[in-house]
Amino acid sequence: MLRYLGVEIRRTFRDRRFVFFTMAVPVVFYLLWANVFGKADGTVGGTGLNTRTYLMVSMASYGALGAALTTTGSRLAAERQSGWLRQLQITPLRPWAVITVKIIASMCLALPSVIVVGLAAVLTQHVHLSPAEWGGMIALMWLGTLPFAALGTLVGSLVGPDAAQPVTLICYFGLSILGGLWMPVQTLPATLRHVAHWLPSNRFAGLGWSVVGGHVPPASDGLVLAGWAIVLGALAIGAYRRATVRG
Amino acid sequence: MNAIAFTGVSKSYGPVRAVEGLDLTIDAGSTVALLGPNGAGKSTSIGMLLGLVRPSAGEIRVFGDSPDTAVKQGRVGAMLQDGTLVPGLTVREVVSFIRGLYPDPMPLEEILALAGLTDLAGRRADRLSGGQAQRVRFAIAIAGAPRLLVLDEPTAAMDVESRRSFWGSMREYAATGRTILFATHYLEEADENADRVIVVARGRVVADGTPNEIKAAVGTGTVRFTIGDQPTAGLDALPGVTGVEIRGSVAQLRTTSPDATVQALYATGLRVTDLEVRGADLEEAFLSLTHDN
Ligand SMILES: Nc1ncnc2c1ncn2[C@@H]1O[C@H](COP(=O)(O)OP(=O)(O)O)[C@@H](O)[C@H]1O
Ligand SMILES: [Mg+2]
Repeated sequence: MLRYLGVEIRRTFRDRRFVFFTMAVPVVFYLLWANVFGKADGTVGGTGLNTRTYLMVSMASYGALGAALTTTGSRLAAERQSGWLRQLQITPLRPWAVITVKIIASMCLALPSVIVVGLAAVLTQHVHLSPAEWGGMIALMWLGTLPFAALGTLVGSLVGPDAAQPVTLICYFGLSILGGLWMPVQTLPATLRHVAHWLPSNRFAGLGWSVVGGHVPPASDGLVLAGWAIVLGALAIGAYRRATVRG
Repeated sequence: MNAIAFTGVSKSYGPVRAVEGLDLTIDAGSTVALLGPNGAGKSTSIGMLLGLVRPSAGEIRVFGDSPDTAVKQGRVGAMLQDGTLVPGLTVREVVSFIRGLYPDPMPLEEILALAGLTDLAGRRADRLSGGQAQRVRFAIAIAGAPRLLVLDEPTAAMDVESRRSFWGSMREYAATGRTILFATHYLEEADENADRVIVVARGRVVADGTPNEIKAAVGTGTVRFTIGDQPTAGLDALPGVTGVEIRGSVAQLRTTSPDATVQALYATGLRVTDLEVRGADLEEAFLSLTHDN
Protein backbone atom coordinates (compact mmCIF):
# COMPACT_ATOMS: atom_id res chain seq x y z
CA MET A 1 0.00 0.00 0.00
CA LEU A 2 2.81 2.40 0.85
CA ARG A 3 4.33 1.69 -2.51
CA TYR A 4 1.03 2.54 -4.19
CA LEU A 5 0.79 5.75 -2.15
CA GLY A 6 4.30 6.70 -3.27
CA VAL A 7 3.45 6.00 -6.90
CA GLU A 8 0.27 8.07 -6.74
CA ILE A 9 2.04 11.04 -5.19
CA ARG A 10 5.02 10.87 -7.48
CA ARG A 11 3.00 10.81 -10.65
CA THR A 12 0.79 13.68 -9.53
CA PHE A 13 3.78 15.94 -9.04
CA ARG A 14 4.74 15.25 -12.65
CA ASP A 15 1.42 16.69 -13.72
CA ARG A 16 2.18 20.33 -14.49
CA ARG A 17 -1.46 21.32 -14.39
CA PHE A 18 -1.71 20.01 -10.86
CA VAL A 19 1.32 21.99 -9.73
CA PHE A 20 0.06 25.09 -11.49
CA PHE A 21 -3.50 25.10 -10.20
CA THR A 22 -2.91 23.95 -6.65
CA MET A 23 0.32 25.77 -5.88
CA ALA A 24 1.05 28.57 -8.31
CA VAL A 25 -2.51 29.90 -8.56
CA PRO A 26 -3.17 30.15 -4.80
CA VAL A 27 0.20 31.82 -4.24
CA VAL A 28 -0.34 34.34 -7.00
CA PHE A 29 -3.81 35.20 -5.77
CA TYR A 30 -2.54 35.41 -2.24
CA LEU A 31 0.14 37.88 -3.22
CA LEU A 32 -2.33 39.84 -5.30
CA TRP A 33 -5.01 40.14 -2.60
CA ALA A 34 -2.47 40.72 0.15
CA ASN A 35 -1.04 43.62 -1.81
CA VAL A 36 -4.43 45.06 -2.68
CA PHE A 37 -6.19 44.67 0.66
CA GLY A 38 -3.37 44.05 3.08
CA LYS A 39 -2.15 47.64 3.19
CA ALA A 40 -4.87 48.70 5.59
CA ASP A 41 -3.82 47.60 9.03
CA GLY A 42 -7.35 46.64 10.06
CA THR A 43 -8.55 43.22 11.06
CA VAL A 44 -11.01 41.06 9.20
CA GLY A 45 -14.44 41.34 10.78
CA GLY A 46 -14.86 39.15 13.85
CA THR A 47 -11.69 37.11 13.50
CA GLY A 48 -9.19 39.52 14.97
CA LEU A 49 -6.75 38.53 12.23
CA ASN A 50 -4.97 41.02 10.06
CA THR A 51 -5.82 40.77 6.38
CA ARG A 52 -2.54 39.24 5.27
CA THR A 53 -2.82 36.37 7.74
CA TYR A 54 -6.50 35.88 7.11
CA LEU A 55 -5.89 35.70 3.37
CA MET A 56 -3.05 33.25 3.85
CA VAL A 57 -5.48 30.76 5.35
CA SER A 58 -8.13 31.49 2.72
CA MET A 59 -5.82 30.87 -0.20
CA ALA A 60 -4.14 27.88 1.44
CA SER A 61 -7.60 26.40 1.94
CA TYR A 62 -8.54 27.23 -1.62
CA GLY A 63 -5.48 25.42 -2.97
CA ALA A 64 -5.81 22.46 -0.62
CA LEU A 65 -9.48 22.02 -1.40
CA GLY A 66 -8.75 22.06 -5.11
CA ALA A 67 -5.94 19.57 -4.76
CA ALA A 68 -8.06 17.17 -2.73
CA LEU A 69 -10.95 17.38 -5.21
CA THR A 70 -9.05 17.22 -8.48
CA THR A 71 -6.70 14.41 -7.50
CA THR A 72 -9.71 12.24 -6.81
CA GLY A 73 -12.61 13.38 -9.01
CA SER A 74 -11.50 13.67 -12.61
CA ARG A 75 -8.63 11.25 -12.20
CA LEU A 76 -10.67 8.48 -10.76
CA ALA A 77 -13.21 8.89 -13.55
CA ALA A 78 -10.40 8.73 -16.12
CA GLU A 79 -8.83 5.67 -14.52
CA ARG A 80 -12.14 3.88 -14.47
CA GLN A 81 -12.61 4.58 -18.14
CA SER A 82 -9.06 3.76 -19.20
CA GLY A 83 -9.15 0.33 -17.57
CA TRP A 84 -6.32 1.11 -15.15
CA LEU A 85 -8.52 0.46 -12.12
CA ARG A 86 -9.57 -2.88 -13.61
CA GLN A 87 -5.91 -3.70 -14.12
CA LEU A 88 -5.32 -3.00 -10.42
CA GLN A 89 -8.37 -5.07 -9.52
CA ILE A 90 -6.73 -8.17 -10.94
CA THR A 91 -3.62 -7.77 -8.82
CA PRO A 92 -3.46 -8.82 -5.17
CA LEU A 93 -4.09 -5.18 -4.19
CA ARG A 94 -7.58 -5.15 -2.64
CA PRO A 95 -10.25 -2.66 -3.74
CA TRP A 96 -10.51 -1.15 -0.26
CA ALA A 97 -6.76 -0.56 -0.32
CA VAL A 98 -7.06 1.21 -3.65
CA ILE A 99 -9.69 3.65 -2.44
CA THR A 100 -7.97 4.17 0.91
CA VAL A 101 -4.71 5.01 -0.81
CA LYS A 102 -6.48 7.33 -3.25
CA ILE A 103 -8.01 9.28 -0.38
CA ILE A 104 -4.84 9.45 1.69
CA ALA A 105 -2.81 10.42 -1.37
CA SER A 106 -5.20 13.22 -2.19
CA MET A 107 -4.99 14.50 1.37
CA CYS A 108 -1.22 14.43 1.19
CA LEU A 109 -1.31 16.19 -2.16
CA ALA A 110 -3.29 19.01 -0.56
CA LEU A 111 -0.47 19.77 1.86
CA PRO A 112 1.88 21.49 -0.58
CA SER A 113 -0.74 24.19 -1.24
CA VAL A 114 -0.84 25.02 2.45
CA ILE A 115 2.92 24.99 2.70
CA VAL A 116 3.69 27.14 -0.34
CA VAL A 117 1.06 29.75 0.53
CA GLY A 118 2.40 29.76 4.09
CA LEU A 119 5.93 30.28 2.80
CA ALA A 120 4.80 33.10 0.56
CA ALA A 121 3.12 34.71 3.55
CA VAL A 122 6.19 34.45 5.74
CA LEU A 123 8.67 35.52 3.09
CA THR A 124 6.81 38.41 1.52
CA GLN A 125 4.07 39.52 3.89
CA HIS A 126 5.86 39.28 7.23
CA VAL A 127 3.24 36.98 8.64
CA HIS A 128 4.55 35.60 11.87
CA LEU A 129 3.34 32.47 13.63
CA SER A 130 4.87 30.34 16.35
CA PRO A 131 6.13 26.88 15.38
CA ALA A 132 3.24 25.37 17.33
CA GLU A 133 0.79 27.42 15.32
CA TRP A 134 2.39 26.36 12.05
CA GLY A 135 2.36 22.75 13.17
CA GLY A 136 -1.25 22.96 14.31
CA MET A 137 -2.40 24.67 11.16
CA ILE A 138 -0.73 22.19 8.85
CA ALA A 139 -1.86 19.15 10.81
CA LEU A 140 -5.47 20.30 11.09
CA MET A 141 -5.61 21.39 7.49
CA TRP A 142 -4.31 17.99 6.49
CA LEU A 143 -7.04 16.17 8.38
CA GLY A 144 -9.62 18.71 7.28
CA THR A 145 -9.23 17.77 3.60
CA LEU A 146 -10.84 14.39 4.23
CA PRO A 147 -14.41 15.43 3.30
CA PHE A 148 -13.15 16.93 0.03
CA ALA A 149 -11.19 13.83 -0.87
CA ALA A 150 -14.36 11.84 -0.18
CA LEU A 151 -16.43 14.22 -2.31
CA GLY A 152 -13.97 13.88 -5.18
CA THR A 153 -14.06 10.10 -4.90
CA LEU A 154 -17.85 10.22 -5.00
CA VAL A 155 -17.84 12.37 -8.14
CA GLY A 156 -15.18 10.22 -9.79
CA SER A 157 -17.16 7.04 -9.10
CA LEU A 158 -20.51 8.39 -10.25
CA VAL A 159 -19.82 10.28 -13.45
CA GLY A 160 -17.81 9.60 -16.57
CA PRO A 161 -14.54 11.32 -17.44
CA ASP A 162 -16.16 13.98 -19.60
CA ALA A 163 -18.57 15.10 -16.93
CA ALA A 164 -16.18 14.63 -14.02
CA GLN A 165 -14.07 17.64 -14.88
CA PRO A 166 -16.92 20.22 -14.94
CA VAL A 167 -18.66 18.64 -11.95
CA THR A 168 -15.42 18.77 -9.97
CA LEU A 169 -14.87 22.39 -10.96
CA ILE A 170 -18.41 23.35 -9.96
CA CYS A 171 -17.92 21.73 -6.55
CA TYR A 172 -14.55 23.44 -6.29
CA PHE A 173 -15.70 26.98 -7.07
CA GLY A 174 -19.04 26.59 -5.33
CA LEU A 175 -17.41 25.45 -2.11
CA SER A 176 -14.66 28.06 -2.33
CA ILE A 177 -16.92 31.01 -2.98
CA LEU A 178 -19.81 30.04 -0.71
CA GLY A 179 -17.40 28.90 1.97
CA GLY A 180 -15.95 32.39 2.19
CA LEU A 181 -12.51 31.60 0.78
CA TRP A 182 -12.66 34.42 -1.76
CA MET A 183 -14.56 37.01 0.25
CA PRO A 184 -15.02 36.86 4.00
CA VAL A 185 -18.32 35.25 4.95
CA GLN A 186 -19.34 38.44 6.73
CA THR A 187 -19.60 40.19 3.38
CA LEU A 188 -22.06 37.61 1.97
CA PRO A 189 -25.85 38.18 2.07
CA ALA A 190 -27.57 36.76 5.17
CA THR A 191 -29.00 33.61 3.53
CA LEU A 192 -25.69 32.69 1.97
CA ARG A 193 -24.05 33.31 5.29
CA HIS A 194 -26.21 30.59 6.82
CA VAL A 195 -25.35 28.23 4.00
CA ALA A 196 -21.65 29.01 4.40
CA HIS A 197 -21.88 28.22 8.06
CA TRP A 198 -22.71 24.60 7.29
CA LEU A 199 -20.29 24.09 4.42
CA PRO A 200 -17.18 22.00 4.98
CA SER A 201 -15.10 24.55 3.09
CA ASN A 202 -15.95 27.31 5.56
CA ARG A 203 -15.27 25.06 8.55
CA PHE A 204 -12.09 23.84 6.94
CA ALA A 205 -10.72 27.36 6.59
CA GLY A 206 -12.16 28.03 10.07
CA LEU A 207 -9.71 25.51 11.52
CA GLY A 208 -6.87 27.52 10.03
CA TRP A 209 -8.24 30.92 11.04
CA SER A 210 -8.62 29.75 14.64
CA VAL A 211 -5.15 28.29 14.86
CA VAL A 212 -3.37 31.28 13.35
CA GLY A 213 -5.41 33.52 15.67
CA GLY A 214 -3.95 31.60 18.57
CA HIS A 215 -7.16 29.76 19.52
CA VAL A 216 -8.09 26.13 19.68
CA PRO A 217 -10.70 25.67 16.94
CA PRO A 218 -14.25 25.29 18.23
CA ALA A 219 -15.48 21.70 18.48
CA SER A 220 -18.31 22.57 16.11
CA ASP A 221 -15.79 23.01 13.26
CA GLY A 222 -14.48 19.52 13.85
CA LEU A 223 -17.98 18.09 14.17
CA VAL A 224 -19.29 19.65 10.98
CA LEU A 225 -16.23 18.46 9.05
CA ALA A 226 -16.44 14.99 10.58
CA GLY A 227 -20.14 14.87 9.70
CA TRP A 228 -19.40 15.74 6.09
CA ALA A 229 -16.52 13.30 6.01
CA ILE A 230 -18.69 10.46 7.29
CA VAL A 231 -21.63 11.13 5.00
CA LEU A 232 -19.54 11.78 1.88
CA GLY A 233 -17.18 8.96 2.78
CA ALA A 234 -20.01 6.44 3.08
CA LEU A 235 -21.53 7.62 -0.20
CA ALA A 236 -18.13 7.53 -1.88
CA ILE A 237 -17.39 4.00 -0.75
CA GLY A 238 -20.83 2.86 -1.91
CA ALA A 239 -20.44 4.56 -5.30
CA TYR A 240 -16.91 3.28 -5.73
CA ARG A 241 -17.98 -0.29 -5.08
CA ARG A 242 -20.82 0.01 -7.53
CA ALA A 243 -18.50 1.49 -10.11
CA THR A 244 -15.82 -1.18 -9.85
CA VAL A 245 -17.66 -4.41 -9.07
CA ARG A 246 -19.37 -5.04 -12.36
CA GLY A 247 -22.72 -6.82 -12.59
CA MET B 1 -4.77 -30.35 -11.49
CA ASN B 2 -7.10 -28.17 -13.51
CA ALA B 3 -5.93 -24.61 -13.77
CA ILE B 4 -9.39 -23.49 -14.80
CA ALA B 5 -12.81 -25.10 -14.46
CA PHE B 6 -16.06 -23.55 -15.69
CA THR B 7 -19.19 -25.45 -14.69
CA GLY B 8 -22.46 -24.43 -16.32
CA VAL B 9 -21.41 -20.79 -16.47
CA SER B 10 -23.79 -18.26 -18.04
CA LYS B 11 -23.88 -14.52 -18.17
CA SER B 12 -26.74 -12.38 -19.44
CA TYR B 13 -26.89 -8.65 -19.89
CA GLY B 14 -30.61 -8.04 -19.95
CA PRO B 15 -31.81 -9.87 -23.05
CA VAL B 16 -28.28 -10.43 -24.38
CA ARG B 17 -26.90 -13.84 -23.53
CA ALA B 18 -23.19 -13.15 -23.62
CA VAL B 19 -22.19 -16.61 -22.36
CA GLU B 20 -24.49 -19.62 -22.29
CA GLY B 21 -23.78 -22.74 -20.27
CA LEU B 22 -20.01 -22.87 -20.56
CA ASP B 23 -18.44 -26.12 -19.33
CA LEU B 24 -14.72 -26.17 -19.65
CA THR B 25 -11.60 -27.42 -17.94
CA ILE B 26 -8.08 -26.40 -18.76
CA ASP B 27 -5.04 -28.35 -17.59
CA ALA B 28 -2.29 -26.61 -15.72
CA GLY B 29 0.68 -25.97 -17.98
CA SER B 30 -1.22 -25.84 -21.25
CA THR B 31 -1.55 -22.96 -23.67
CA VAL B 32 -5.12 -22.59 -24.82
CA ALA B 33 -6.67 -20.26 -27.38
CA LEU B 34 -10.21 -19.01 -27.07
CA LEU B 35 -11.08 -18.40 -30.69
CA GLY B 36 -14.22 -16.68 -31.83
CA PRO B 37 -15.65 -13.72 -33.75
CA ASN B 38 -16.48 -10.41 -32.10
CA GLY B 39 -19.34 -10.69 -29.66
CA ALA B 40 -18.76 -14.41 -29.11
CA GLY B 41 -18.40 -13.95 -25.36
CA LYS B 42 -14.62 -14.25 -25.05
CA SER B 43 -14.10 -11.10 -23.00
CA THR B 44 -17.10 -11.84 -20.82
CA SER B 45 -15.73 -15.32 -20.06
CA ILE B 46 -12.34 -13.84 -19.26
CA GLY B 47 -13.93 -11.16 -17.08
CA MET B 48 -15.68 -13.87 -15.08
CA LEU B 49 -12.49 -15.89 -14.83
CA LEU B 50 -10.76 -12.88 -13.29
CA GLY B 51 -13.59 -12.01 -10.91
CA LEU B 52 -14.35 -8.75 -12.73
CA VAL B 53 -17.75 -9.94 -13.93
CA ARG B 54 -20.14 -11.98 -11.80
CA PRO B 55 -21.66 -14.98 -13.57
CA SER B 56 -25.46 -15.09 -13.75
CA ALA B 57 -25.24 -18.84 -13.15
CA GLY B 58 -22.64 -21.53 -12.69
CA GLU B 59 -19.32 -21.78 -10.97
CA ILE B 60 -15.73 -20.98 -11.84
CA ARG B 61 -12.64 -22.37 -10.13
CA VAL B 62 -9.09 -21.22 -10.66
CA PHE B 63 -6.55 -23.69 -9.27
CA GLY B 64 -9.40 -25.05 -7.16
CA ASP B 65 -10.34 -21.69 -5.62
CA SER B 66 -12.72 -18.89 -6.47
CA PRO B 67 -11.43 -16.31 -8.97
CA ASP B 68 -11.31 -13.69 -6.21
CA THR B 69 -9.09 -15.87 -4.05
CA ALA B 70 -6.81 -16.73 -6.94
CA VAL B 71 -6.42 -13.05 -7.79
CA LYS B 72 -5.86 -12.06 -4.17
CA GLN B 73 -3.11 -14.66 -3.84
CA GLY B 74 -1.36 -13.39 -6.94
CA ARG B 75 -1.78 -16.55 -8.99
CA VAL B 76 -3.28 -14.74 -11.97
CA GLY B 77 -1.99 -12.07 -14.32
CA ALA B 78 -3.89 -10.62 -17.23
CA MET B 79 -3.82 -8.32 -20.16
CA LEU B 80 -7.37 -7.06 -20.62
CA GLN B 81 -8.78 -6.29 -24.03
CA ASP B 82 -8.68 -2.55 -23.79
CA GLY B 83 -6.87 -0.46 -21.37
CA THR B 84 -4.41 2.36 -21.45
CA LEU B 85 -1.59 2.94 -19.06
CA VAL B 86 -1.78 5.33 -16.18
CA PRO B 87 -0.20 8.72 -16.92
CA GLY B 88 2.89 10.06 -15.20
CA LEU B 89 5.05 6.98 -14.70
CA THR B 90 7.99 5.52 -16.57
CA VAL B 91 7.90 1.98 -17.90
CA ARG B 92 10.25 0.87 -15.16
CA GLU B 93 8.19 2.54 -12.44
CA VAL B 94 4.90 1.08 -13.53
CA VAL B 95 6.27 -2.45 -13.96
CA SER B 96 8.14 -2.29 -10.69
CA PHE B 97 5.03 -1.04 -8.88
CA ILE B 98 2.83 -3.87 -10.15
CA ARG B 99 5.56 -6.40 -9.52
CA GLY B 100 5.78 -5.26 -5.91
CA LEU B 101 2.12 -6.16 -5.34
CA TYR B 102 2.77 -9.87 -5.85
CA PRO B 103 4.16 -12.27 -3.25
CA ASP B 104 6.71 -13.96 -5.49
CA PRO B 105 7.40 -11.84 -8.58
CA MET B 106 9.97 -12.19 -11.35
CA PRO B 107 13.12 -10.06 -11.13
CA LEU B 108 12.47 -6.65 -12.69
CA GLU B 109 15.22 -6.88 -15.30
CA GLU B 110 13.98 -10.29 -16.36
CA ILE B 111 10.44 -8.96 -16.89
CA LEU B 112 11.72 -6.04 -18.94
CA ALA B 113 13.91 -8.30 -21.03
CA LEU B 114 11.18 -10.85 -21.65
CA ALA B 115 8.75 -8.15 -22.75
CA GLY B 116 11.41 -6.49 -24.91
CA LEU B 117 11.33 -3.29 -22.87
CA THR B 118 14.89 -3.02 -21.63
CA ASP B 119 15.60 -0.09 -23.95
CA LEU B 120 12.34 1.65 -23.16
CA ALA B 121 12.54 1.32 -19.37
CA GLY B 122 13.16 5.02 -18.77
CA ARG B 123 10.44 6.25 -21.11
CA ARG B 124 7.10 7.54 -19.91
CA ALA B 125 4.65 4.67 -20.25
CA ASP B 126 1.85 6.94 -21.45
CA ARG B 127 3.91 8.24 -24.35
CA LEU B 128 4.59 5.03 -26.25
CA SER B 129 3.35 3.73 -29.58
CA GLY B 130 0.46 1.26 -29.63
CA GLY B 131 2.68 -1.79 -29.99
CA GLN B 132 5.11 -0.60 -27.30
CA ALA B 133 2.26 0.08 -24.89
CA GLN B 134 0.96 -3.44 -25.47
CA ARG B 135 4.39 -4.74 -24.47
CA VAL B 136 4.21 -2.77 -21.25
CA ARG B 137 0.78 -4.23 -20.60
CA PHE B 138 2.23 -7.68 -21.23
CA ALA B 139 5.03 -6.91 -18.78
CA ILE B 140 2.44 -5.88 -16.19
CA ALA B 141 0.56 -9.12 -16.76
CA ILE B 142 3.62 -11.32 -16.18
CA ALA B 143 5.25 -9.11 -13.53
CA GLY B 144 3.97 -11.17 -10.62
CA ALA B 145 5.11 -14.45 -12.23
CA PRO B 146 1.51 -15.66 -12.19
CA ARG B 147 0.79 -19.37 -12.67
CA LEU B 148 -2.10 -18.42 -14.94
CA LEU B 149 -1.64 -15.78 -17.60
CA VAL B 150 -4.73 -14.51 -19.42
CA LEU B 151 -4.46 -12.42 -22.59
CA ASP B 152 -7.52 -10.90 -24.25
CA GLU B 153 -6.78 -10.17 -27.91
CA PRO B 154 -3.27 -9.04 -27.01
CA THR B 155 -2.04 -8.27 -30.52
CA ALA B 156 -4.94 -6.09 -31.61
CA ALA B 157 -2.91 -2.88 -31.91
CA MET B 158 0.25 -4.43 -33.33
CA ASP B 159 1.90 -4.60 -36.72
CA VAL B 160 3.21 -7.88 -38.13
CA GLU B 161 6.72 -7.55 -36.69
CA SER B 162 5.43 -6.68 -33.19
CA ARG B 163 3.05 -9.60 -33.35
CA ARG B 164 5.81 -11.99 -34.09
CA SER B 165 7.99 -10.84 -31.24
CA PHE B 166 4.99 -10.69 -28.93
CA TRP B 167 4.10 -14.34 -29.49
CA GLY B 168 7.78 -15.17 -29.05
CA SER B 169 7.67 -13.60 -25.58
CA MET B 170 4.44 -15.40 -24.80
CA ARG B 171 5.89 -18.77 -25.76
CA GLU B 172 8.98 -18.08 -23.67
CA TYR B 173 6.74 -17.46 -20.68
CA ALA B 174 4.69 -20.57 -21.44
CA ALA B 175 7.88 -22.61 -21.53
CA THR B 176 8.31 -22.01 -17.80
CA GLY B 177 5.37 -24.34 -17.17
CA ARG B 178 2.70 -21.71 -16.71
CA THR B 179 -0.86 -21.97 -17.95
CA ILE B 180 -1.89 -19.51 -20.62
CA LEU B 181 -5.32 -18.68 -21.95
CA PHE B 182 -5.55 -16.19 -24.77
CA ALA B 183 -8.48 -14.86 -26.77
CA THR B 184 -8.18 -14.11 -30.44
CA HIS B 185 -10.26 -13.93 -33.55
CA TYR B 186 -7.45 -15.07 -35.84
CA LEU B 187 -7.32 -18.80 -36.53
CA GLU B 188 -3.69 -18.34 -37.51
CA GLU B 189 -2.70 -17.00 -34.10
CA ALA B 190 -4.52 -19.79 -32.35
CA ASP B 191 -2.95 -22.35 -34.64
CA GLU B 192 0.61 -21.13 -34.21
CA ASN B 193 0.60 -20.47 -30.50
CA ALA B 194 -1.75 -22.84 -28.71
CA ASP B 195 -1.78 -26.54 -27.79
CA ARG B 196 -5.54 -26.48 -27.76
CA VAL B 197 -8.13 -24.28 -29.43
CA ILE B 198 -11.60 -23.71 -28.04
CA VAL B 199 -13.89 -22.13 -30.60
CA VAL B 200 -16.75 -20.08 -29.19
CA ALA B 201 -19.60 -18.41 -31.01
CA ARG B 202 -22.68 -16.75 -29.59
CA GLY B 203 -21.70 -17.59 -26.03
CA ARG B 204 -21.24 -21.33 -26.63
CA VAL B 205 -18.34 -23.68 -27.32
CA VAL B 206 -18.74 -24.87 -30.89
CA ALA B 207 -15.47 -26.76 -31.29
CA ASP B 208 -12.65 -27.83 -29.04
CA GLY B 209 -9.48 -29.63 -30.06
CA THR B 210 -5.90 -29.38 -31.21
CA PRO B 211 -5.13 -26.68 -33.78
CA ASN B 212 -5.00 -29.33 -36.51
CA GLU B 213 -8.40 -30.69 -35.61
CA ILE B 214 -9.87 -27.22 -35.59
CA LYS B 215 -8.32 -26.32 -38.91
CA ALA B 216 -9.71 -29.47 -40.42
CA ALA B 217 -13.17 -28.67 -39.10
CA VAL B 218 -13.16 -25.02 -40.04
CA GLY B 219 -11.16 -25.25 -43.22
CA THR B 220 -8.60 -22.65 -44.13
CA GLY B 221 -10.22 -21.54 -47.36
CA THR B 222 -13.07 -21.83 -49.76
CA VAL B 223 -13.11 -22.77 -53.42
CA ARG B 224 -16.16 -21.61 -55.31
CA PHE B 225 -17.16 -22.20 -58.93
CA THR B 226 -20.16 -22.47 -61.19
CA ILE B 227 -21.04 -26.12 -61.56
CA GLY B 228 -24.31 -25.73 -63.43
CA ASP B 229 -26.17 -29.04 -63.68
CA GLN B 230 -23.11 -31.30 -63.67
CA PRO B 231 -23.07 -34.07 -61.04
CA THR B 232 -21.79 -33.08 -57.60
CA ALA B 233 -20.98 -36.54 -56.29
CA GLY B 234 -17.33 -36.98 -55.35
CA LEU B 235 -16.64 -33.32 -54.60
CA ASP B 236 -16.48 -34.09 -50.88
CA ALA B 237 -13.78 -36.70 -51.55
CA LEU B 238 -11.38 -34.21 -53.13
CA PRO B 239 -8.15 -33.63 -51.18
CA GLY B 240 -8.53 -31.12 -48.31
CA VAL B 241 -12.26 -30.71 -48.66
CA THR B 242 -14.12 -30.56 -45.36
CA GLY B 243 -17.51 -29.38 -46.56
CA VAL B 244 -19.52 -29.02 -49.74
CA GLU B 245 -22.36 -26.61 -50.28
CA ILE B 246 -24.40 -26.27 -53.46
CA ARG B 247 -26.36 -23.06 -53.87
CA GLY B 248 -28.25 -23.15 -57.14
CA SER B 249 -25.62 -23.51 -59.84
CA VAL B 250 -22.72 -22.55 -57.55
CA ALA B 251 -20.65 -25.08 -55.63
CA GLN B 252 -18.68 -23.98 -52.60
CA LEU B 253 -16.04 -26.24 -51.09
CA ARG B 254 -14.54 -25.63 -47.68
CA THR B 255 -10.97 -26.88 -47.68
CA THR B 256 -7.87 -27.11 -45.55
CA SER B 257 -5.74 -26.89 -48.66
CA PRO B 258 -7.15 -24.75 -51.47
CA ASP B 259 -4.22 -25.50 -53.81
CA ALA B 260 -4.60 -29.27 -53.62
CA THR B 261 -8.35 -29.01 -53.96
CA VAL B 262 -8.16 -26.86 -57.08
CA GLN B 263 -5.65 -29.16 -58.79
CA ALA B 264 -7.75 -32.20 -58.06
CA LEU B 265 -10.87 -30.37 -59.14
CA TYR B 266 -9.50 -29.82 -62.66
CA ALA B 267 -8.39 -33.45 -62.78
CA THR B 268 -12.00 -34.62 -62.32
CA GLY B 269 -12.85 -33.49 -65.83
CA LEU B 270 -15.67 -31.24 -64.63
CA ARG B 271 -16.16 -28.03 -66.56
CA VAL B 272 -15.12 -25.42 -63.98
CA THR B 273 -16.07 -21.79 -64.63
CA ASP B 274 -15.96 -18.62 -62.51
CA LEU B 275 -13.41 -20.20 -60.17
CA GLU B 276 -12.87 -18.21 -57.02
CA VAL B 277 -10.47 -19.13 -54.20
CA ARG B 278 -10.59 -17.36 -50.87
CA GLY B 279 -8.88 -17.65 -47.50
CA ALA B 280 -11.03 -18.83 -44.65
CA ASP B 281 -13.82 -16.48 -43.80
CA LEU B 282 -13.82 -17.24 -40.13
CA GLU B 283 -17.05 -15.52 -39.45
CA GLU B 284 -18.76 -17.77 -41.97
CA ALA B 285 -16.92 -20.86 -40.78
CA PHE B 286 -17.93 -20.17 -37.19
CA LEU B 287 -21.51 -19.72 -38.18
CA SER B 288 -21.57 -23.01 -40.02
CA LEU B 289 -20.05 -24.68 -36.97
CA THR B 290 -22.77 -23.14 -34.84
CA HIS B 291 -25.41 -24.57 -37.13
CA ASP B 292 -23.80 -27.99 -37.13
CA ASN B 293 -24.14 -28.22 -33.37
N1 LIG C 1 -21.24 -4.78 -20.01
C1 LIG C 1 -22.05 -5.25 -20.99
N2 LIG C 1 -23.32 -4.83 -21.09
C2 LIG C 1 -24.13 -5.29 -22.06
N3 LIG C 1 -23.78 -6.19 -22.99
C3 LIG C 1 -22.52 -6.65 -22.95
C4 LIG C 1 -21.59 -6.20 -21.96
N4 LIG C 1 -20.42 -6.83 -22.18
C5 LIG C 1 -20.60 -7.63 -23.25
N5 LIG C 1 -21.86 -7.54 -23.72
C6 LIG C 1 -22.43 -8.28 -24.87
O1 LIG C 1 -22.13 -9.63 -24.70
C7 LIG C 1 -21.74 -10.23 -25.91
C8 LIG C 1 -20.37 -10.85 -25.78
O2 LIG C 1 -19.41 -9.81 -25.69
P1 LIG C 1 -17.86 -10.07 -25.43
O3 LIG C 1 -17.71 -11.01 -24.30
O4 LIG C 1 -17.21 -8.75 -25.30
O5 LIG C 1 -17.42 -10.77 -26.78
P2 LIG C 1 -15.97 -10.93 -27.44
O6 LIG C 1 -14.95 -10.57 -26.43
O7 LIG C 1 -15.92 -12.36 -27.84
O8 LIG C 1 -15.93 -10.04 -28.63
C9 LIG C 1 -21.85 -9.15 -26.97
O9 LIG C 1 -23.09 -9.27 -27.59
C10 LIG C 1 -21.77 -7.88 -26.17
O10 LIG C 1 -22.48 -6.87 -26.82
MG1 LIG D 1 -13.52 -9.19 -26.55
